[in-house]
Amino acid sequence: MPETLVQIEPKPPRGDWRNPKVEFRKGAMCYSAAAKNLTYLGLPNPRAWQPADSDWKLPPDWKKIILDGMKDRLAKYRSFRLFMDICVRCGACADKCHFYLGTADPKNMPVARAELIRSVYRRYFTLTGRLFGSLAGGRELTEDVIKEWFYYFYQCTQCRRCSVFCPYGIDTAEITLIGRELLNLIGCNINWVMEPVANCYRTGNHLGIQPHGFKDSIDFAADEASEITGLDIEVPINRKGAEILFVMPSADYFATPHYYTLLGYMMLFREIGLDYTVSAYASEGGNFGSFASHELMKRLNAKIYDEARRLGVKWILGGECGHMWRVLHQYMDTMNGPADFLEVPVSPITGTVFEHARSTKMVHICEFTADLIHHGKIKLDPRRNDHWTVTYHDSCNPARGMGLLEEPRYILNHVSRRFHEMPENTIREQTFCCGSGAGLGTDENLEVRLRGGFPRANAVKYVKQKHGVNLLTCICAIDKATLPTLLEYWVPGVEVGGIHELVGNALVMTGEKERTTDLRGEPLAREEVMAGGESEAAHA
Amino acid sequence: MNALYSVLVVLALVLAGLAGGRVEAGRAVLTLAVPYAALAIFLVGFFARVLRWAWVPVPFHIPTTCGQQKALAWIKPSKVDNPSSRWGVFARMAAEILLFRSLFRNNRARMAEKRLILGESKYLWLGALAFHWALLLIQLRHLRLFIEPVPAWIDGLERLDSFFQVGAPQIYLSDVIVLAALAYLLYRRFRDPAVRFISLFTDYFALFLLLGVAVSGVLMRYFVRVDILSVKQFALSLAAFHPIDPSTLNPLFLAHLLLVCTLAAYFPFSKLMHMGGVFLSPTRNLANDSRRRRHVNPWNYPVKKHTYAEWEEEFRDKLKAAGIPLEADDAGNARTN
Amino acid sequence: MSVEAVIVERWVDRALKSYPSEMHSFLGGEKDPFRNPVGNTFRENLAALVHELLGTMDKEKIAGALDGLVRLRAVQNFTPGEALHFVFDLRPVIGEVSGAISDPLQSRIDELALMAFDQYMSCRERIFELRINELRMWARSAAAGEGGTP
Repeated sequence: MPETLVQIEPKPPRGDWRNPKVEFRKGAMCYSAAAKNLTYLGLPNPRAWQPADSDWKLPPDWKKIILDGMKDRLAKYRSFRLFMDICVRCGACADKCHFYLGTADPKNMPVARAELIRSVYRRYFTLTGRLFGSLAGGRELTEDVIKEWFYYFYQCTQCRRCSVFCPYGIDTAEITLIGRELLNLIGCNINWVMEPVANCYRTGNHLGIQPHGFKDSIDFAADEASEITGLDIEVPINRKGAEILFVMPSADYFATPHYYTLLGYMMLFREIGLDYTVSAYASEGGNFGSFASHELMKRLNAKIYDEARRLGVKWILGGECGHMWRVLHQYMDTMNGPADFLEVPVSPITGTVFEHARSTKMVHICEFTADLIHHGKIKLDPRRNDHWTVTYHDSCNPARGMGLLEEPRYILNHVSRRFHEMPENTIREQTFCCGSGAGLGTDENLEVRLRGGFPRANAVKYVKQKHGVNLLTCICAIDKATLPTLLEYWVPGVEVGGIHELVGNALVMTGEKERTTDLRGEPLAREEVMAGGESEAAHA
Repeated sequence: MNALYSVLVVLALVLAGLAGGRVEAGRAVLTLAVPYAALAIFLVGFFARVLRWAWVPVPFHIPTTCGQQKALAWIKPSKVDNPSSRWGVFARMAAEILLFRSLFRNNRARMAEKRLILGESKYLWLGALAFHWALLLIQLRHLRLFIEPVPAWIDGLERLDSFFQVGAPQIYLSDVIVLAALAYLLYRRFRDPAVRFISLFTDYFALFLLLGVAVSGVLMRYFVRVDILSVKQFALSLAAFHPIDPSTLNPLFLAHLLLVCTLAAYFPFSKLMHMGGVFLSPTRNLANDSRRRRHVNPWNYPVKKHTYAEWEEEFRDKLKAAGIPLEADDAGNARTN
Repeated sequence: MSVEAVIVERWVDRALKSYPSEMHSFLGGEKDPFRNPVGNTFRENLAALVHELLGTMDKEKIAGALDGLVRLRAVQNFTPGEALHFVFDLRPVIGEVSGAISDPLQSRIDELALMAFDQYMSCRERIFELRINELRMWARSAAAGEGGTP
């Protein structure tokens, strides 16, 4: 009988969560960090190994290293100590994790992810755990536990969505980052984090583009912007005495669709006559160190203030990037400040004093541009974006680590006439992660990324069907790098772009030639071309 | 298994309480040693734990922002969900502690159902909120046992609590709510396989212990009718550190007392410490003003950096070829400009 | 409840058993399509499939519904057999509900299975294609970079 032909047992339950066995499968795991990168950075235990190996070649005293590392961090981070102690396992966070939703693996519940390390904390650092062991929720630290940590801490994008719903604000990003720090102590790290970190450290940007290559990329983009507009656009590099240092994620100058956003910045700066410079030394805003440890975060981030000081600028403007802004907003001043050699940021065009950045002296490009639009300082013709029906994906870190929610929407509403929001519980502080953040956006990990990105894609699919959305805008370099692949798989027909790409399209520049294409070289829709000549200012 | 063990432990405690009252030595232990020891453990443990948290620095400024930031003057900030001032933080913490704001956040997409429906996650919020408020009310009511004369506000609370004036003795609303809420929280832990998956012995134990306390208390008030006067005399004497002879006390009361003492002594070692911890959570109790005011990390330390000078030295030829301005000439001397 | 609805419900129930048991009540219970995208994918698309199988067998609609399911199953942690097992879950369900399965329905289910297989393969191919595209893109940028750690 055919119905007995294929009989597969239903999946067994995970059973006891204390069982740490995990299976590393190709296509659903990240490769280990190459030894040369660890050596370059001076990190412990460089060696050749892969997660699927049975022997991970841990140092002989790995257990002591981990426990000492935990002890050290328990004394340094109130967050860590507190989050180890106060979780009541209510489960409110469970269905808030995109990996839980996409993988249907109960261990991907944020609470379970934290329990992986909490169980070890209880066993070795609490009285009840030491006395009663597993009855008090404790668990022995074994090599399998290390493997399990690696499996699940590299299946978290530190997006902090769970922390929005936790009654005590327990932040899994904090736990994951410290978990990864501990793994780093024994040399268990992934290449997609460590190679970019090593590259950034050496050359200034995560692909290891050297200064002349950086200049070529920037010049190439400037030429293209000049060609599109018929204006002479130049971008100064390492220019001393400029008023503003502009820092962007390096993907903006070597990857698409980031590149179109870069064109947008350049055109905007040219139009308002901004006195600025970019730096080849601090040519990366995105901070891959923040995916590995607080120390690496600081080592990479230090370049920005150092360079601002050397160049003698007054303040710093930052481009569209997610994790970069988490670091800039919540860590930079603390780690590498005080920035007392800079001045409180003032927009040279509108005179607005950016009081909210009084100490850090760094302003988000969306804040800057929204302020320009609000004061009517730029002319925008949103009809030039009529070929796009747009939705906006709040990138996790600007949303939940800053609260930058309205500025990009304000800009969008002025540069586009067709903007539709995704469902309420998938945007703003409840936004779903792209599934590839925090160093997971590598090709060998694609299947896990596709699972993690499914909840986001599911909401995109809904607005595509309902409103005909064909462009997802976002302000994060990782989003721009990984969402195109994700959407090509889940929702073909929706492209990904940056806010300033649309600004660049809509920006009516003084003396520009008539635009027939958008920044991507796609022809504008007919009525837009007709309107192009007498385009009126459409700003507020 | 975890649930079973915790039921057994709680039952053993009840039996110990009931049986202990029958012998004089047991009575003495239960009414003297246990309450004072429990109180001491609770006080020392609770404050030690809180102080230990408070002792650990908050190196970074990491609030979870749940609304619009305060940046540009003309964009309305979300003052409570993304506070930028102390008052905002105060309001956020108050909403968190008094109303369980974050648990309430579980909204459903409206398109899914045409009517407004309380989802399971709203029930979690409701159950948790009902439990905590009822428990607080019950504890305040219990103060009447320790204070003579009974202050008017406690009488007022009791009148409010027995608002419906049903039954004799009149039924306290808080008793009903606390039992119902505990039953729901327990049911939820059993019923939802995902929550059951993560539940530890301690999770069940806390629930069963609280349930034991509540049930024994309800039995005493409504069914067994313990002599409340002798209980009060005993409580007053305990509070005055002059304990009286406990021979007149009902065994059920001793069981109740033992459960309460266990709860108090267990409290500092358990997840119940979230009561103190919630105030210290750095993702909630910090204002989102990290760009306006510098947050200081007391253990900030210098790290190894790749300095500009090293970088320029390493890429000197390429920088020169690309025409990027340099700081030092080929001999390494700083250029004057 | 109509026979069709009963079949859908039981089919969804059975199909979701391919996930760890801890997940069943959430996947089956939570109705918000954005909070429970996996469960919703099953409910929506299996309902569409039953409707077509018992109705006019519109190829386009079947392909659409299957696509939603197979696309998801193809990236989750399943062998090909496990991933497509949900198609064969329909047989016992119909057996339970109506006693026997008519021959035409048998062949419709077979057809469904073959279509699912085609789609599964095309999804897997798509995944590898996307992976290669990414690799190629990174390789191109890395070549532009030529730097990196020595």
